[in-house]
Amino acid sequence: MEHRKERIDRGIKARTEDIYALFSYREMLYLLVPRVIPILVLFLVTLLVGVYWQKVLISTAVFALLALSWDLLTAAGMVSLGQALFFGVGAYITGILNHYFNLSPLFTIPIATVGGGVVCTLLLLPVLRLRGIYFAMVTLALPLMLVRIIEATKIFGGTEGLSGLAGLPSTRFELYLSLIAVLAVLFFFRRLINTDYGLVLRGIRDNDRSVMRSGINIYWFKAQALFMASAVGAFAGALMTHVYMFVGMPVFEMDYSILPIASAVVGGMGTFAGPMLGAFILVPLSEALRGVGGLRIVIYGLFLVIFTVALPEGIFHYFQRKYHQFERWVKVEK
Amino acid sequence: MLEVKNLLVFYENALAINDLSLRVDKGQMVGVIGSNSAGKTTLMNTISGLIIDMKIKEARRGGERITVMGDVIFNGETITHMEPYDRAKKGIALCRERHPIFQESDVLENLKIAGYLIKRSELKERVDFVFDLFPALIALKSRRAGFLSGGEQQMLAIGMALIIKPVLLLLDEPLLGLSPAIQTKLIQAIKNIQKEMGITTVISEQFARPILPMIDYGYIIENGMLTLTGSGKELMDNPEVRSAYFGV
Repeated sequence: MEHRKERIDRGIKARTEDIYALFSYREMLYLLVPRVIPILVLFLVTLLVGVYWQKVLISTAVFALLALSWDLLTAAGMVSLGQALFFGVGAYITGILNHYFNLSPLFTIPIATVGGGVVCTLLLLPVLRLRGIYFAMVTLALPLMLVRIIEATKIFGGTEGLSGLAGLPSTRFELYLSLIAVLAVLFFFRRLINTDYGLVLRGIRDNDRSVMRSGINIYWFKAQALFMASAVGAFAGALMTHVYMFVGMPVFEMDYSILPIASAVVGGMGTFAGPMLGAFILVPLSEALRGVGGLRIVIYGLFLVIFTVALPEGIFHYFQRKYHQFERWVKVEK
Repeated sequence: MLEVKNLLVFYENALAINDLSLRVDKGQMVGVIGSNSAGKTTLMNTISGLIIDMKIKEARRGGERITVMGDVIFNGETITHMEPYDRAKKGIALCRERHPIFQESDVLENLKIAGYLIKRSELKERVDFVFDLFPALIALKSRRAGFLSGGEQQMLAIGMALIIKPVLLLLDEPLLGLSPAIQTKLIQAIKNIQKEMGITTVISEQFARPILPMIDYGYIIENGMLTLTGSGKELMDNPEVRSAYFGV
């Protein structure tokens, strides 16, 4: 008699269209635990670590925000290779408002978030009709272009950048602000993508012509998704500017474009939680490897390669599957 | 020539093919008739080996687990777990469902890619052979394949399968999306090719009416299980087949 592995959903028993009927604490916990764990773990960690690692956590959160924003764009069928564009625009808007107009971070951060979203959306509006690699190429080129414009015209401090900007009250405040932002964006995006609105976005990724056929203006929806994603990226940039109390050309660096994508690949694309998890693995890992010295990038690269080869679906997809399904050997009945 | 023994295919927990056995003798034209979701395409993919590739890809990304059990025996050799490109080298050519061709390449280039396995010196001759079969393609030689009509794409797809002089030709729903008049023409063309060249052919189809008169032997499958077998003539006279497929 031959055997095969059977996969069974653990799921809760009663599930209707949009009402979850919960019958017991067990079922409530089944749903609640995976959502509460990241919150608890993050806040426990903030209590335990010293100032250096608190700073690392802040930049981790910034990369997590960029990764979340990348994942939203990808969910709507726009592959971005230039998260640095959102980050840099947000950072520069904050810097300018603070340096030239003396606005406090209380105002600069919200203005930069919305303004960055608007500016980036307007910049990318002409290329919304491009798909796949063509859109990616434009997003890759824009931050490189902006940095050269700043260098050549010497506006906004030129190569020197703007320094001596206002800081935030304390490291702890920066830390909690960034972590709360990450969690808020995470849960918002996860909710959003499962609504009817998110359905349209996912439809655009799968087959944009069929979505158009349904009477939906896909460019309007793409522009909205782009605005949300770039606003999140711009917020990350604004936050980082006030943390460093400096803004300059490095905000358009490739790191801010590549690391979020690496995080999404390691963590698992399309889940939002995956890219965030990926950022929380990759950024601290990169910091921890500083002790290794010259071989740091080699080990880091090796880790990335091993991960993408061994677990191409991503960490989060893997654990999600293990959590929601179990497998057992069954006899094959003919 | 080809023997499928106790084949079972699972897509995750869904049973697509259930204990299916069939045999195809040399030079025969065998029909596999079944409605939608009967398991025709899965059977074709299992014989041509595409399912092995699907299985590995799905497993790597944690998707659906595909389980293949039983044996596919080709010329006395068990090929159940052989890669599709190795099977093609043995002369098994599949013309896939919905005639997927290389949309961005022109007709001649399509034929050249399909004829990768034959020698360069023979290629010209084989291309001419395909053009002899489907003269309509000659005028379209340098047209991009994506802009051909459905019927022309279908001809091209069958030509691409025939160009390597297959030992075993698998046609997966060749009549899909064609008008009844063209269906009869195409099936007649297939029959002629098969007769003249003596290619063993397995043809899967939903439309029993044009297929049954042509085939030497037929298998009727439902939900992945064999329900009826017999020669084309026997099946045509069978009252169950008549009511289910002819609507009489």
